[in-house]
Amino acid sequence: MLAAFREVQIPLLAVLLMLACAGKAVRAARTRSIDQGIGPTTMFPLNLRRPAAMVMCALELGLGVMLAATASRVAAWPTAATVVRLGVVLLFVTATAALIELRAHRPDAGCGCFGDLSGTPVSLRTIARSAIFCAAAAATVGVPPIRLTAGAIIPGAAHGTLEARLLVVLVATEVALLGALSPELGEALVRLGYREPCERRMFSRRRTLAALRSTRVWRRHAALLTSTEPTDMWRDLCWRYAAYSGQVAGREAAIVFAVYARRWSPPVRAAVVDAMTGELLARTGRRGEPKARRPAMYLGHDDVPVTTSRGDKGDFARTTH
Amino acid sequence: MAYERRDVARRRMLLKKAIFSSTGGTGPETPRAPGHVVTGTVLDASPHILVIANEAGAEERFALKETTSAWRGAAVPPASLSPGCRIVLRRHGQRRVAERIWADIGRVTGTIVERTGNMLLVDQGHTRGRGLLVFSDRSSARILVRFPKLEPGYLIDVIGVRRGGAVEGLVPATSQPPYHSDHVPRAALVRGHVPDTISGSASWHEPIDDPPGLAGAAYPALDPSSGCEADAGPCDSAVSCARLPYLSIGSTLVVRNDCSGASGGVQVTACGSAASRFCDRCLTCGMSPRGRIVELTMASFVELGGDLHEGCFKTTIRIGG
Repeated sequence: MLAAFREVQIPLLAVLLMLACAGKAVRAARTRSIDQGIGPTTMFPLNLRRPAAMVMCALELGLGVMLAATASRVAAWPTAATVVRLGVVLLFVTATAALIELRAHRPDAGCGCFGDLSGTPVSLRTIARSAIFCAAAAATVGVPPIRLTAGAIIPGAAHGTLEARLLVVLVATEVALLGALSPELGEALVRLGYREPCERRMFSRRRTLAALRSTRVWRRHAALLTSTEPTDMWRDLCWRYAAYSGQVAGREAAIVFAVYARRWSPPVRAAVVDAMTGELLARTGRRGEPKARRPAMYLGHDDVPVTTSRGDKGDFARTTH
Repeated sequence: MAYERRDVARRRMLLKKAIFSSTGGTGPETPRAPGHVVTGTVLDASPHILVIANEAGAEERFALKETTSAWRGAAVPPASLSPGCRIVLRRHGQRRVAERIWADIGRVTGTIVERTGNMLLVDQGHTRGRGLLVFSDRSSARILVRFPKLEPGYLIDVIGVRRGGAVEGLVPATSQPPYHSDHVPRAALVRGHVPDTISGSASWHEPIDDPPGLAGAAYPALDPSSGCEADAGPCDSAVSCARLPYLSIGSTLVVRNDCSGASGGVQVTACGSAASRFCDRCLTCGMSPRGRIVELTMASFVELGGDLHEGCFKTTIRIGG
């Protein structure tokens, strides 16, 4: 069973290495810079950061692909396989040392291991995960070519042998442990279920006007308007305002509507103001307004390279007075 | 154009007040004109009296005390200010006594567009055009320490002495962010409402179209679909690394200087696109918890107790007043 467990480490590490490279590539594509925000490269001089980041990304991809390719007899074996696996061990040992160093010198910086998802400052969890990868990589050295027999994980489980079932439990435990040590997992889940607060939500003019024109408040004031297009539109936190010119009892008036930034049946308020004097003539609409503001909950770390030496990572929760 | 923008701001504030004024808490605080700040041109300076022509062209006299300090590239005796200097003066309370004077102070903040020898052309963002920054031999070494990448696309923020259309750079206002101005780091996510009060740093800018004595603020997160003014396109700000709520021209902020304790209502009058790209920290009286959240006009900055030559102060802003 132990031999099969060692075999499993090869595809596991190969997938992780390729995912790490993909995470960095996505980040590089988004920011159009390979070296930006990739954790340990911030310890290099400015002119070496870019080459260091490129080498790291290329190494991860190369080793990941080669690890998979040399797992069976597809590539020359055993020399190539041993060289690749020793290379993976060396990579993870270096990474662990770099993370320890990064934690000491840039406690605010994330490890950048999986690109954008790795913005959380390096902690003992991250270092422990890297150490487990080291051990897993070391376990692969000397493993013979993988064969799909009753002892291997998928066919074994299908065959229903006790050893195979124990192996499945062991691998699942390892994956769960790696998940628990990975801050990226939480970050990914947060991003999947994230919705911007209304103050930060994009709410276009077109959608605002469409929502406004379907309300009773609009219909009540429509007869007062002298133009169908707003003279001014602006936004303040969760409310978008639309001002129209109009007439009330022969007086020039400004009719202003406030529409809440919500997709379905947004609350709407209106006020009629004398255009010359600014006197308030009428005000309507209070129903269905949103409940009191909840305090903000901070979901991540400022993904910000602070330009002072040791940055304190502030958060909204702390600034709420 | 600038006056039109301020008229729009005043009109929006009135209309918003018409809708929300009696609901408690949501109504904006009315901003006041700076009462402790005078701007103008030096007519005569003697050891005890400073005579200036204010923005309206009227002559004003201010007593100079032993404690009165002046800045013109460095600390200078107030009596040494020569006629013709443009000054910003903070007075003791409402008395005609000068507390602090800044002469010919200028600032260039933004993205480097072009470098020719010791001259930098800097894009200062939406509505502010381009600024010319010139380094002297004595200042260039000092600035290069804090701004090692004087290349197109990188950010710069330098305070100095204004000479015609150019600013002679003397004091670096911050340290250079390590990223390209197009690659501003992503802000952290916030769940729930954005809090009413947000802490960060406040910087100042030179108004291009407005008289220097006008109050106001440039805000780094103007609503993209509302634009900078009635007839202009959207503000070209980056996604600010401080996750700020969307506002528009005319929104009101209550800005508190956390160093001096002074606070006051300030109206958003411009787009802070340059400020949105700086994820730096202000180090005046401790480190600000996040980057630039507001960019005040010179008059508002001085009114709130800021020292122009320091470039920033720690601030807490309350939105809506």
